[in-house]
Amino acid sequence: MAKSDDGIHILQGLLVFGNVVIGMCGIALTAECIFFVSDPHGLYPLLEATENDDIYAAAWIGIFVGFALFALSILGIIGVIKSNRTLLLVYIILMLITYAFEMASCITAATHRDFLTPNLFLKQMLERYNKLETVNNNDKWMTEGVTKTWDKLMLQNQCCGVRGPSDWQEYTSAFRSTHSDADFPWPRNCCVLDARGSPVNLDGCKLGVPGYYNSNGCYDAISGPMNTHAWGVAWFGFAILCWTFCVLLGTMFYWSRIEY
Amino acid sequence: MCSCWLVLAFCCLGQLCADQSLKPQLAASQLATNNPTLTTVALEKPFCMFDSSLSPNKSYIIYLYAMKESASAISSLVTDNSSKPLDSTFQQTSGGQLGPYKAALFKVPNCASPPKLADVGDVNKVSDVLKQYLFRVGDDGTCLYDPNFLGVCNPPLAPDTTYRFKYVLLDTTEGIMKGQTLWSDPIKTRRVKLPLKIDTWPGRRSGDMIVITSILSVLVFLLLAGFLASVSSAVMGSDNSSAKTRCMSQTIQQSEPRPQLSSE
Repeated sequence: MAKSDDGIHILQGLLVFGNVVIGMCGIALTAECIFFVSDPHGLYPLLEATENDDIYAAAWIGIFVGFALFALSILGIIGVIKSNRTLLLVYIILMLITYAFEMASCITAATHRDFLTPNLFLKQMLERYNKLETVNNNDKWMTEGVTKTWDKLMLQNQCCGVRGPSDWQEYTSAFRSTHSDADFPWPRNCCVLDARGSPVNLDGCKLGVPGYYNSNGCYDAISGPMNTHAWGVAWFGFAILCWTFCVLLGTMFYWSRIEY
Repeated sequence: MCSCWLVLAFCCLGQLCADQSLKPQLAASQLATNNPTLTTVALEKPFCMFDSSLSPNKSYIIYLYAMKESASAISSLVTDNSSKPLDSTFQQTSGGQLGPYKAALFKVPNCASPPKLADVGDVNKVSDVLKQYLFRVGDDGTCLYDPNFLGVCNPPLAPDTTYRFKYVLLDTTEGIMKGQTLWSDPIKTRRVKLPLKIDTWPGRRSGDMIVITSILSVLVFLLLAGFLASVSSAVMGSDNSSAKTRCMSQTIQQSEPRPQLSSE
């Protein structure tokens, strides 16, 4: 009898420890997802315009799932310590639902990250940057978002285009239809600007003289934060789910062994 | 190191010029990386190309003529019968389609002291260096539509078209041509692609996504199986335990009267 008592105590101890870890991970997940949703790099308008902003949806789900995990872990600790069958049954069922939501969030983040290729941003930049004739308010909103975001990106990261300034030369674009190639081979923000925001040497920028224009592409500045976002949500969620799987199996076994 | 190489190449070019067949060249690609563009071409000015024709007491200027390559079948003459250079404009030749047009005039570049290309790094000197070293054909987008414009109009070229250029040395006092280069090699302006044609299909799924999806699906299946197993074992366990308690209560009832019988 003493040995099985010890066994039960050990199992209880493990389950409490498991639930404590789940609670802390839940808070961490909420905090991480709030950070991503707050969009510190200002890249959301680019995703909004591609109509493919599901990595943000995954982060939103992550906020609520993290909080639910925290609340349920407290319920689980109380249920295990009191060995109450009803509490533990409620805990298991709610945890399964939360598990399903978190699984949806991880898979969404991982899948939609795959869609964010350089070509997608290139096409969007060429079609929307500085587009003047917009069809409706939604189009206008998205176009303004894309234009402001690209201007800020090019200014802050000293870059031009997605792969390089040659993107503006190789393709026709909404920008090209309003700005002639002779005066604007690429947008002014692609030039090296002085403190007042005007090009250091305009002819040097137009000719492509090294040092007077930004010769590298902005794709790294876009994909870096987006990768961090998507992988942070997907892989951290995955790790939490693996741990939760073990704790849930242990709880189900414990629940089935409690006697009324 | 690159700038030293440029200066050296420049000096060699100056010395060997007399021996080569003289043609207008594109500006150095290390300097003007965006060349030719959709509607412009940046050409090197004719350094030391006309030195043998210059005499010290006279003043000279250089004319630049441009024409589409297809126009060479119609006419590629830049002078009339009395060796006076043609005064054709962009509009008159339909943008170089019917023959050469005068795109620019500038003074003879200084052969003795060419601009040092290494100075391009210096913000104060770069404008002068660029102005002395090269000329951008197609630079002026407004002169064609400006009725008050009196100079030589240099409008943007047509995209995806081959052009050829020629420099002509003119004696300003006599007004006749003193020297000319050959027509340059054909130079083609860029051609653009439509953004509609950009393929945004991401291709195969990444390994991350496959791992996450497959492992999570398996875990969810195991959890549901475990849940069903524990619920069913709990249900069956409660059946067994209720049967056991009935058995046990029966055996207790049976065992209780015995001590009474044995004591009698």
